[in-house]
Amino acid sequence: MRTERQRVSAAQAGSADAFGELVRDYRHGLLRFLLTRCASYADAEDALQDTMMSAFRYIRSYDERWRFSTWLYRIAIRNAAKLRVPEVVELGDLRDEESDPLLQCIADSDAENLWINARRLLNDEVFAAMWLRYAEDMSVKDISRALDRSPSWTKVNLLRGRKALDVELNNAVNQGKAYG
Amino acid sequence: MDKLSRQLRQDAEKIEVRVSDELDHRIAASLRSVTPEAEIVAVPKSQRPALFWWASSLTGIAAAVAVIVIVNTQQAVKPAAPAPTSIVAAVPIIDWETETAMLAGPLQQELDALQSDIKRAERKVRSDIGL
Repeated sequence: MRTERQRVSAAQAGSADAFGELVRDYRHGLLRFLLTRCASYADAEDALQDTMMSAFRYIRSYDERWRFSTWLYRIAIRNAAKLRVPEVVELGDLRDEESDPLLQCIADSDAENLWINARRLLNDEVFAAMWLRYAEDMSVKDISRALDRSPSWTKVNLLRGRKALDVELNNAVNQGKAYG
Repeated sequence: MDKLSRQLRQDAEKIEVRVSDELDHRIAASLRSVTPEAEIVAVPKSQRPALFWWASSLTGIAAAVAVIVIVNTQQAVKPAAPAPTSIVAAVPIIDWETETAMLAGPLQQELDALQSDIKRAERKVRSDIGL
């Protein structure tokens, strides 16, 4: 069983199999993240494939001072931004629910999902910061690296995002809606 | 972990995704077609010879010495003393009395009018109360 460091070295030497092993554990999380950012499930899959290809192509420029997941998410964020359709973003919650990949992938439940409201209330970058913090459990330092932002920007926007979602959560409780 | 963090984590886990075998094969096939690119190595800045630094230091010192010499050899030029003039002659004479009369006149009239009004009011009050 090779360690992540050994897999990185092997991938840097050109081994596609080693790279495949390296990213195996991250595919699921990345696809889930990309799904919140793309207009369709197929787009999210394409973005995942592009992310993997870009990561392998530029594996030799990977700086080991970073966590590998941070570096992968940085590439994924860029790929998702390329695939995203601006009109869909502008329309926000007006889009067709049947074609919304995020809604399709939420388990059949009457309960609300806070990430749907997060996508409606927050801009792309703040949403990504919130996702990396609360869904992927990344540190502020890693989030700022993934988003190419300063740690202060990240802290401030995480706080803003939390504030917006806190209000949403409290309103839902007052209106008798249930989350989770 | 607070309520919001817990909720966000739970809701993220509720988003069900599956990397299909088809996607897995697609990714594996695309990876085989990719070759890692050579690391982009930052080109080091061109090294300048030691003589360059000596030459620029000497040029700087020479320029500083030249400026000091020029400044010190220049004669200080005394400014020409102005001719003595009488300030009294230059100051215009103000007609203070005329100004005083002009300002005091209307005020005096106003004072007389006020005093007359007071006397008239006093008389009216006295007649009203029968004195």
